[in-house]
Amino acid sequence: MRGPRLRSLVVMIAAALLSACSSAAGYHGGPVYRYVVSDRPAPPALQVLRRRVAETPRTLDPSLAADVPSTDVIEDLFEGLVTLSAGGKIIPGVASSWSISPDGRTYIFHLRPAARWSNGKPVTAADFVYAWRREVDPDTAAQYAQSLARIVNAQAIIDGKRPPDSLGVTALGAHTLEVRLVGRTPYFLSMLFNVYYMPLYPPAIRRWGMAWTRPGHLVSDGAFYLAAWVINGHLTLKKNPYYWDAAHVRLREEIFYPVPSASSALSRYLAGDLDFVGTPAFPPSDVGWLRRDLGSQVRVTPMYGTAYLGMLVHEQPFNNRDLRLALTMSLDRRVLDEKLMQGMDMPAHSLFPPLPGFTRRSPAWAHWPMARRLAVARRLYRAAGYSKAHPLRVKLLYMTEGVHTRNYMEAVATMWHQALGADIVLWQEQWKVMLQDIQYKNAKLFWSAWVGNYPSPYTFAHQFVKGFVMNYGGYDNPAYQAAVKAAVAEPNRARRYALYAKADAILNHDAPLIPLYFYNSNELVKPYVAGIEPNVLNVHLARYMWIRQHTLRQP
Amino acid sequence: MIRLVLRRVLAAIPTLLVIITLSFFMLRAAPGGPFTEARRLPPQVLANLERMYHLNEPVWEQYGRYLTHILRGDFGPSYVYRSTTVNALIEQGLPVDLTIGGLALALALLIGMPLGILAALRQNTAWDYVSMAGAMAGISVPTFVVAPLMILLLAVKAHWLPAGSWSNGAPDHLVLPVLALALPLIAYVARIMRGSMVEVLNSPYIRTARAKGLPERTVILRHALKPALMPLISFLGPAVVNTLTGSIVVEEIFGLPGIGRFFVDGALNRDYTLVMGVTILYAMLIIAFNLIADLLYGVLDPRARQQ
Repeated sequence: MRGPRLRSLVVMIAAALLSACSSAAGYHGGPVYRYVVSDRPAPPALQVLRRRVAETPRTLDPSLAADVPSTDVIEDLFEGLVTLSAGGKIIPGVASSWSISPDGRTYIFHLRPAARWSNGKPVTAADFVYAWRREVDPDTAAQYAQSLARIVNAQAIIDGKRPPDSLGVTALGAHTLEVRLVGRTPYFLSMLFNVYYMPLYPPAIRRWGMAWTRPGHLVSDGAFYLAAWVINGHLTLKKNPYYWDAAHVRLREEIFYPVPSASSALSRYLAGDLDFVGTPAFPPSDVGWLRRDLGSQVRVTPMYGTAYLGMLVHEQPFNNRDLRLALTMSLDRRVLDEKLMQGMDMPAHSLFPPLPGFTRRSPAWAHWPMARRLAVARRLYRAAGYSKAHPLRVKLLYMTEGVHTRNYMEAVATMWHQALGADIVLWQEQWKVMLQDIQYKNAKLFWSAWVGNYPSPYTFAHQFVKGFVMNYGGYDNPAYQAAVKAAVAEPNRARRYALYAKADAILNHDAPLIPLYFYNSNELVKPYVAGIEPNVLNVHLARYMWIRQHTLRQP
Repeated sequence: MIRLVLRRVLAAIPTLLVIITLSFFMLRAAPGGPFTEARRLPPQVLANLERMYHLNEPVWEQYGRYLTHILRGDFGPSYVYRSTTVNALIEQGLPVDLTIGGLALALALLIGMPLGILAALRQNTAWDYVSMAGAMAGISVPTFVVAPLMILLLAVKAHWLPAGSWSNGAPDHLVLPVLALALPLIAYVARIMRGSMVEVLNSPYIRTARAKGLPERTVILRHALKPALMPLISFLGPAVVNTLTGSIVVEEIFGLPGIGRFFVDGALNRDYTLVMGVTILYAMLIIAFNLIADLLYGVLDPRARQQ
């Protein structure tokens, strides 16, 4: 699960504030680079991709990485048992095949004998055992250690009650890995591409300690190795000649430039300094002229994330379901989406974003005309005990970072005021202050969002399970938890998704959240860059990318 | 002179201690901590992290530990850039700021001084008005307006220069950031130079020098220039530090890996050690450059030496 993906989204938008003036300076149309592009690849010397990364990666240590920029880079350096196709499907990585025991609790992975570290040494099952033990070892203090909690003894090791070598993972041979789980976990395979499941090269860590991630020290098993790293400056990856699929890797070099602000990233893309700018590549307000001038270089595609408002459902005033329903029904998300987000996101009426094969359950009212929704919402509002003379007065907490969030929240407050007469006090706090207030339950109504980092509805369902660390609203419905629990234990995908849909419907009924929108990614890709396909996880591995032959046609 | 240096260095110690103490406790008083994330950390994981960085100890103990470490010149590990130490970050970032700051200052002196002197010599002429109006504009228009404009015109439209990034200090990548940083400095230097030159030129000893029949060149260069430099010197001490610390905006806009961004990001992320390290560095720079300015004053002005 990837909270930090949101974090960085926010910080990126925040930095946009600083250089918002670059769009204020007003590049609106006019001559831009035009390219004549062929279908043939450019010569090897030109196979260099210059790519924006949203922030400086905080670490290149897969065990410690907890932020999106770090994982973006690590995913090109390292490869786990499974990896992702260009379109975001789970495919074999270092493991060429695997078998699962009938009870779903034991996995045997068969590693490719051809898998190599960037120094030519073979990748072995022991490297995975070492890496996973290190991840849960309290001395590593890994922020995402709990992501391994489905493995036998992982939680006890994190708690310091058992030694790291008691972890339920064993090297049965140089290329055979056995993993024992505490229970059936249908999403286990889809989690394995995540950075905290990647193998590590033990000699490098033993030799260099904390400095093992510096260029020259870092040994990786992915399609690329680390050639240079200037923190906040640039990060150069070069093709790993020992990578098992190196024959199909065409890029010679990949250079990441940390550019936090979307508008800076945009000007550097327009200046021809960047070939690929990942989401968010530009402020929503710029999408109109960008589409006009850049055409298909602008890519807006669905992402696996939802923005919503959370509420403390056990405290006044949100312990009243009528009020929660009145609030969620009276928001006209289509207007918000069209006017504020310029159609760059999708209106959301429920928590779970679209996923192939999964039919989400929008509440019935989502399909009603707005007038009917408002009428019902007003009735519910009155039933909850509020009126013109006695309106709902509540603080809505969100972060100072991001012009768009502010505009959005102002619009939400205005809609509630117009529809119901509610008095919403908008309350902005710096990101970390806001997080603390939410986590200490000092906020009754607050901005929230989730972007899944593996393609399973479970990553969303988890958010509202009683006792989960991110269930900040304190929602607690045994029927919902039973549905989620049953879904986790269900091996058949269709039946599993039906159970998640049931959980979705329970959430719609209880309304412990006010869904706002599903995220879209917005990217800028030069026409000569090939191999970038839309995928909901928004993971674009450089191993699939290549540069087409192209010439510049000056305007 | 040596006594002055000694006195100032000794006086710097309590100043630094106050700065360190204040920022140490103020940082910890700020809501949220280095490990407050959107996904709340499980208590055991948080405990492991805090134990690793000694954040579980009483705050006075942490303070003592920190003081003994900085005495050894060790600013500690960064909490947010978890595979790096603060020393390594500063070692990497400071040369960037020194390069662009140094070049900007050199440019400011090279252009600003002659501009100011000429304006003073041709007081109330078109030259004077135009250059001083230009200087006023340079001071008033903030960097965060000038820099994006330069990017827009020279990088996005004309494609002459790159729009940003450091690229190990390649000259074409330096042009825009140095210009953006230098523009207001040039303006300040020119205005200060003009003002003090006008004042000096009106003083009795210049009249005497002229009355002696000295050539104008000698009057300006030998008699007027030295005293006219005094206000500039006292401006330059803090200006050097301001250029180094004030490059944050330029770093941000051009995506340069200087320490200014560490300062801002560090504060937003509650990276206690990183913010402390940069704060101490900035404080030492301010103290050092003020001292240098005072020493230069003494070199140029015999009266200041006696005091």
